[in-house]
Amino acid sequence: MPTLFAQLSTLLSSLVLLFGITLLWRRSLHAYVDAFQWQSVTLSIVFATVAYFTSNPELYVVAAIFFVLKAVIIPLYLNRLEKQVGERPESQPYVNIATSLASAGLLVVLAYLITYPVVRVSLLPTRGGLPLAMGLIFIGLFAVITRKQALTQIVSFLVLENGIALLAVLGTFGVPLIVELGVFLDVLMGFLVMQVFVYHIHGTFESIDVEQLNRLKH
Amino acid sequence: MIGYLLEIAQAALALALAPLLVGFVRWVKARLQNRRGAPPWQPYFELGKLFGKEVVISNNASWLFRFAPYLVFGSTVLVAFLVPLIVAPLPFDPAGDLLAVIYLLLLGTFCLALAGLDPGTAFGGMGASREMTVAAIAEPTIALAIFGLALGAGSTNLGRIVTQTLSQPGVVISPGHLLAFAALFIVTLAETGRLPVDNPATHLELTMIHEAMILEYSGRYLALIEWAAWLKLLIFLSLLANLFLPWGIATALTPAALGLALLALVVKLAFLGTFIAVVETRVAKLRLFRVPELLGVSFVLALLAIVSSFLMR
Amino acid sequence: MTFLLLLLPPLLAAGLAFIVRSYRPLIGWINALFALVSLSAALGLAGQALAGGEALTFGPGQFLRSDSLSALLLVCVTAIAALTLFLSPGLGRTIGYTDTQLRRYHLFINLLLFAMLLAVVANNVGVMWVAIEATTIFSAFIIPLTLTKSSVEASWKYILLSSVGIALAFAGTVLAYLDFVALGGEAQNALNWPVLRATAPMLHPEIMRLAFIFLLVGYGTKAGIAPMHTWKPDAYGEAPAPLGALMSSALLAVAMYALLRWKVVTDAAVGGHYADNLLLALGLLSLGIASFSLVLARNYKRLLAYSSIEHTGLICLGLGLGPLGLFAALLHLVNHTIAKALMFFLAGNIERRYLSTLMENVRGLLKTMPGTGVLFAAGLLALVGLPPFGLFVSEFALFRAGFALGYFWLMGAVLVLLAVAFVAFIRHLNHMLYGVPPAGVTIGEAGNWRNGLLGLGLAVLVVLGLTLPAPLMGLLNQIVVSVAR
Repeated sequence: MPTLFAQLSTLLSSLVLLFGITLLWRRSLHAYVDAFQWQSVTLSIVFATVAYFTSNPELYVVAAIFFVLKAVIIPLYLNRLEKQVGERPESQPYVNIATSLASAGLLVVLAYLITYPVVRVSLLPTRGGLPLAMGLIFIGLFAVITRKQALTQIVSFLVLENGIALLAVLGTFGVPLIVELGVFLDVLMGFLVMQVFVYHIHGTFESIDVEQLNRLKH
Repeated sequence: MIGYLLEIAQAALALALAPLLVGFVRWVKARLQNRRGAPPWQPYFELGKLFGKEVVISNNASWLFRFAPYLVFGSTVLVAFLVPLIVAPLPFDPAGDLLAVIYLLLLGTFCLALAGLDPGTAFGGMGASREMTVAAIAEPTIALAIFGLALGAGSTNLGRIVTQTLSQPGVVISPGHLLAFAALFIVTLAETGRLPVDNPATHLELTMIHEAMILEYSGRYLALIEWAAWLKLLIFLSLLANLFLPWGIATALTPAALGLALLALVVKLAFLGTFIAVVETRVAKLRLFRVPELLGVSFVLALLAIVSSFLMR
Repeated sequence: MTFLLLLLPPLLAAGLAFIVRSYRPLIGWINALFALVSLSAALGLAGQALAGGEALTFGPGQFLRSDSLSALLLVCVTAIAALTLFLSPGLGRTIGYTDTQLRRYHLFINLLLFAMLLAVVANNVGVMWVAIEATTIFSAFIIPLTLTKSSVEASWKYILLSSVGIALAFAGTVLAYLDFVALGGEAQNALNWPVLRATAPMLHPEIMRLAFIFLLVGYGTKAGIAPMHTWKPDAYGEAPAPLGALMSSALLAVAMYALLRWKVVTDAAVGGHYADNLLLALGLLSLGIASFSLVLARNYKRLLAYSSIEHTGLICLGLGLGPLGLFAALLHLVNHTIAKALMFFLAGNIERRYLSTLMENVRGLLKTMPGTGVLFAAGLLALVGLPPFGLFVSEFALFRAGFALGYFWLMGAVLVLLAVAFVAFIRHLNHMLYGVPPAGVTIGEAGNWRNGLLGLGLAVLVVLGLTLPAPLMGLLNQIVVSVAR
């Protein structure tokens, strides 16, 4: 019978993955930002759980920063950006929703297959959640590739990063603090840069539909 | 011998409780919408009224139209024999397991769809095609979701699944279980014609699915079909309750255990019924082309349930 | 101390550009001088690496470290950076950029330089990752220096693709660290290169295999290896010429540096030819895609981008061909850095005169701009791999490595693809050099010190082609030996 730590971490990781799958289901940008927000909240709870069970106070700090950055600041900016740039819902993405959901299921199965050798040799109590984190990475990647609007691409990218953060916390109980801080800084800056670019795209193209970005060919 | 008698009693109990359950759900919904609402036992009066009324049948209807209500009712009552409501395991278990349950329910749906097409009316055909769309995506999901549970229990026998879950309480919070529960809940809403898939109280052309198929029925036929639909809701909710939270179910055949089991079932059904009423009040009906997306989500949830319970063993 | 001399000047230069509100040419000159300071520091580190002995470290927990590989790359990066800063817009030449644009340019190009230098000397794998992500962010600010539809499109694709790639590289880093933590427990300096290298043989091969794939895809996106190369033509085509030079030469080198470091760790953990085979496959793919794209290219800056992909492919091939291949790959990296930077500056000259980046609009280069024309022709021939330029020597060394290991068919394919590229280049060069110049293009070019600098670079390339200077040879040999250990 797996320990409480293992069960709890797997349960929370499943929840994080489910919020990621919601990304492929909903259409409006507002729903995307909501899903990302809930996912980030759950992910900070995962951080806190790991911090509790491994008696690592540093992780509490990381959890707090993660929460503030990804569940408060970034959704705030995203909502503001959405108001200024346009709230037209995502027109049909490149792959329709039913097919996207079926692909999500297949991607999770693929993730299980790929991480099977890793899970087999690992002795960590949290190894049950590793395939889920990998699945979220694949789903985030799939979402980035198939979205048509710049803002939904950004949110999908943030979900991809959440997947990687989940992988990090489940597999290594957190990378050293300095790296974590650097990562946060990079994420914030990267996000701000992308935000600036959405303004520019909107300004020069009068829309944020990425299909308009088709001038550069051979 | 006692076992078989209990089985029959269990089915009879299901038949008796079904109208009360539906009435309860309607009553809770009314209260949530700030109305007084009809009392929870109103459906009994409806059934009584319908059984007393005359049957009017279209000239274009065939023998199928007259035969379908009995088939639907019969298949649903048969399912009530196979589902663990109060006692598990049951004497009829070897005869029917998960796959039998699913296909009996599907038989009923199929017959009803044919009966909708039979008189040749527009509403009937429309309802039948919509119902088939929903059923086509929902049936594999039910199978997958319960199959996920079956993998953990090592058998598709519903009684076995219940006893297995009772012996390993920790498995209830495992992701496989929870995902299967979520998937099954969404499918319940689809199969029993509840919001956001279908509105059980509407007769508007744009929004009917189940109601459209049975629009031509009257009198005792309508009574049988309605009763079968309510029984279907009861069966689904008891499946949800007893497969995922089996505590209270009687494994021994003592009066105390049976009494406790009955009480537990009533409590669980009341809880689930209230939850459905809340969900129905909160959400709006989905446009028809969005329903496959919702069912797609439940399919993915069921798939994930299987993956996580199978690959993580 | 040398580390501070290396890293502080770009930071100071950026700070200066930020503080002074309205841009003045003096700022540009000061920035260029700061870059020279960094260059001398880098040369100092290279000298100390050559002298042998333990690698130099600096800072708490050996935060910064410079061994022969780092030193080689530092010299390359700082040299190109100095050249770039001297040839940047705003240093006393009338260019069509506003003051705010120039200020932004100087701020971010110095930050970019700092990030690149930090990535090369950081001892911690995670810090290196942070620095490389920072280079993406900083460079993204300068690509759309003038906001046109094409430049915004290019920078959007660049930033999205690069960010996704770098995120995947982080996933790979986490996977490698995962195994490490499982074996040895956490430690503050657990992610340092020497520690990773030392414990690599004890890591689980399965985990490192998976990690290396993520790392290859991630840092490969940054380097522009196919099939993750699609941002390169757009970004290089739209970026201002000095940024294009810096990105295509120095940033490429930094990305390949990261890949090489991880390859060393992977080889120690997994053994066999796993990493080699992956690199050979992707290298060949890059070479193939680039060669055929060169034939179809219509824009000379995009042409240079495709050439960059082609050479990245060659370097990847070299990395997968054992010690001889490693020597060839590193030599090729040095040569390519110089040649590509030159070409971008020259392309900038051409763009300023002809006001178009399409090759069909550029004709009669030898008549209108004789100095630039000659240098451009020489540079293009160098990129193709003709003697007496350095790239010929490194490509020859690559073939030698390939044949020594018995990869006859592979080298044959490479030869064919290089021939395709050669034909494409010569055809485009002919079109651009000769013919009647279009109307409205002024004839004649005054000699100036800028072209002189570029000519100096070309001369260095020739020297590298005729002989291999002892310091360079010594550094390369040291690197190969330390990697093979």
